[in-house]
Amino acid sequence: MDFTLSEERKMLQETVGKFFNSNYKNIEKRSENVNLPEGYSKEFWKESSDLGVISALVSPKFGGLGGSGEDISIIFELVGKSLCVEPFLSSAVLSSTVLSSISNPRNDLITDIIEGNLLISFAHCEMNNRYEDHYIETNAYLKNDEWNINGTKSFVMNGDDASKIIVSARINGDVNDRNGIGLFLIDNDQTLKRPYNTIDGYRSTELTFKDLKGELLAKDENALKCIIKANSAGALALSAEALGIMQICFDLTLDYLKTRKQFGKSIGAFQSIQHRMVDMMLEIEQVKSAVMLASSTFETDDLTRDKNISAAKNLVGRVGKLIAEETIQLHGGIAMTWEYSAAHYAKRLIMIDHLMGDSDYHRDRFKLLSNS
Amino acid sequence: MVIKMNFEYSEKDENFRKEVKDWLDETLPKSLSEKVKKYQRLTKEDYEIFMNNLTAKGWLAWHWPKEYGGTGWNAIEKHIFEEEIIKASAPRIVPFGVNMLGPVLIEFGTEEQKNYYLPRILSNEDWWAQGYSEPGAGSDLASLKTTAVDKGDHYLVNGQKTWTTLGHHADKIFCLVKTDLNAKPQLGISFLLIDMDTPGVEVKPIITLDGEHEVNEVWFTNVKVPKKNIVGKENEGWTYAKYLLTFERTGIAGVPYSKSALNHLKMISKRSLKNGKPLIEDPIFSSEIAELEIDLLAMEIFNLRTVSAAAEGKAPGMESSLLKIKGTLVRQKTTELLRKALGPQALPYLPEQFDEGWNEMPVGPSYAGPIAKQYFNMRKISIYGGSNEIQKNIVAKASFGL
Repeated sequence: MDFTLSEERKMLQETVGKFFNSNYKNIEKRSENVNLPEGYSKEFWKESSDLGVISALVSPKFGGLGGSGEDISIIFELVGKSLCVEPFLSSAVLSSTVLSSISNPRNDLITDIIEGNLLISFAHCEMNNRYEDHYIETNAYLKNDEWNINGTKSFVMNGDDASKIIVSARINGDVNDRNGIGLFLIDNDQTLKRPYNTIDGYRSTELTFKDLKGELLAKDENALKCIIKANSAGALALSAEALGIMQICFDLTLDYLKTRKQFGKSIGAFQSIQHRMVDMMLEIEQVKSAVMLASSTFETDDLTRDKNISAAKNLVGRVGKLIAEETIQLHGGIAMTWEYSAAHYAKRLIMIDHLMGDSDYHRDRFKLLSNS
Repeated sequence: MVIKMNFEYSEKDENFRKEVKDWLDETLPKSLSEKVKKYQRLTKEDYEIFMNNLTAKGWLAWHWPKEYGGTGWNAIEKHIFEEEIIKASAPRIVPFGVNMLGPVLIEFGTEEQKNYYLPRILSNEDWWAQGYSEPGAGSDLASLKTTAVDKGDHYLVNGQKTWTTLGHHADKIFCLVKTDLNAKPQLGISFLLIDMDTPGVEVKPIITLDGEHEVNEVWFTNVKVPKKNIVGKENEGWTYAKYLLTFERTGIAGVPYSKSALNHLKMISKRSLKNGKPLIEDPIFSSEIAELEIDLLAMEIFNLRTVSAAAEGKAPGMESSLLKIKGTLVRQKTTELLRKALGPQALPYLPEQFDEGWNEMPVGPSYAGPIAKQYFNMRKISIYGGSNEIQKNIVAKASFGL
């Protein structure tokens, strides 16, 4: 067994880490990026592409230089540590996973994403489908050899700035059927957009389509497989991101416990506080282990991949709540303020449990996969 | 021994409840309770509308004895009153003057202070703020550093207070200040009343993690405070501060807040879908709701036991601390389950929706908007008013003999 990173990956980690830190110097800088018109820094996105960060998220088979589970985890742990708001998840993970998993992979589009010239968002979530892969109300019908899409997609990350959108839509069957699903590529200039920020500072959009023309990318079994794979890749990326955030939360809290004095000593001197830090530490080790396992089996069979990713994301949901809440409680009032970074880390950590399946969803999915 | 217990309110209590409810129905403007229900930002005037109504009815000083213009209610009546105003979605009664300073002045103030300040509190002429916490004195309040130096006819005050709730609306602030720098922490503290418009007083906003402005820093630079503004004796302020902190707080468990949150949770769980079916039909989620409801059910009785003992004249001791801990945890759990019930609908955050008169279409169901914000905001309740850790210290120290 070997649980250490290869030399190449260590280098990747170091280079990308330095690069992220140089842009995301502090929480004010992050707020600046959040408040830009697109909800992120286009400049930083382009620089990320030039440095090969996006490429590191895509397999060489499709023009990238990485794309393994470990690569995704390394990059996203760093995304978490800096609280980056750029479209790494929406465009570089979700959309490129779909585009590389369809029967005729679209290397042309993936290359444009990698080069930072094209932003594609994946529009699967709807107001009523919670975290489900197959519950889809948006529909598509064929008329004069053209696909027309009708419906509303919600919580589309970076859905305002993306030039193209991958949309899941129902071709036939009932909203809850596993069959009869299609994936379509559409131009985003014809959609009705309602952009907004999420409570943790990320740009999301509600997109409405009325008889919008789309290009069919995949249908039926292949389409569902692509959705599941994209959502699993997203859940893995978010789990690694959460791990990065947890480590920052732990470090900030420990620093504070050493400097904050009450009753004539640092509050970290109290045993009851120390025990709570140990609980945090051991749970973070658990998360780290689950993320490592999920990363290492990302490219095996679908069942093993999804089972281990669900394990990681479930644990992330449960431990994330513990770490976020303890970080605030152990700091006290100071962590309730906008000015202090811990509050922003805690918010993201909690809201990660509202993306790509919460702890309940992944517990249920783990049960199914584990008993199948 | 057979103990016969009675868990029912008496007919007199029920009549009283009806009287409070009818009065609220009649006088609380619908537009105001709607704002409270939607978690919209309340203006100074919004608070004052409700408090002036209470003044007119003679119910503002619901904690005070009758001879000072209070209601003279017993603990059960106070409990019922508090339950009904929360149920009606009235704005909170800003507690700093009427619930906190009032009782301290009644107990320890001079006749002159009582005659001057109490009527002004009763008429809402003065808006008070609380000057307790400091950047370096939170859990360890007695380590405060703000000083008041004796300059003959006045004190010269220097220092900084923090977490001053609604301090930006306040005309006056009661402060704990250090008057004897050489005394042990709890001994050299005095209780001082300060006009906010005195030169040298500066209020700076603190923006909280939910993007809102409710708390402030208050800075004092060479602020001259007349000697007559001290409450009680010099260097004995800690006694009055403790009196204020332990003053009958029947509402400390926040039971009515949790009850209304639980109802809200059930409503949302019926409307939220999981796999096309109402979330409330999910066996695990509904079990979580059930366990929360069981905790709340028990806590309500725990609270009533304490209230009932207080009505018989027994001062609540450890119960206050225990209820504070459990009450905040239960209330936080309601915000957590509400957040979970929404799923991804908890994500969108439109700050403008908390402004009065906002009437655009929300993103998702109208109830979703405030839920995540509330979850984060409610993290404060286990921190303020003596953190849960401090409450545990108090209980362990006082009851175990270890």
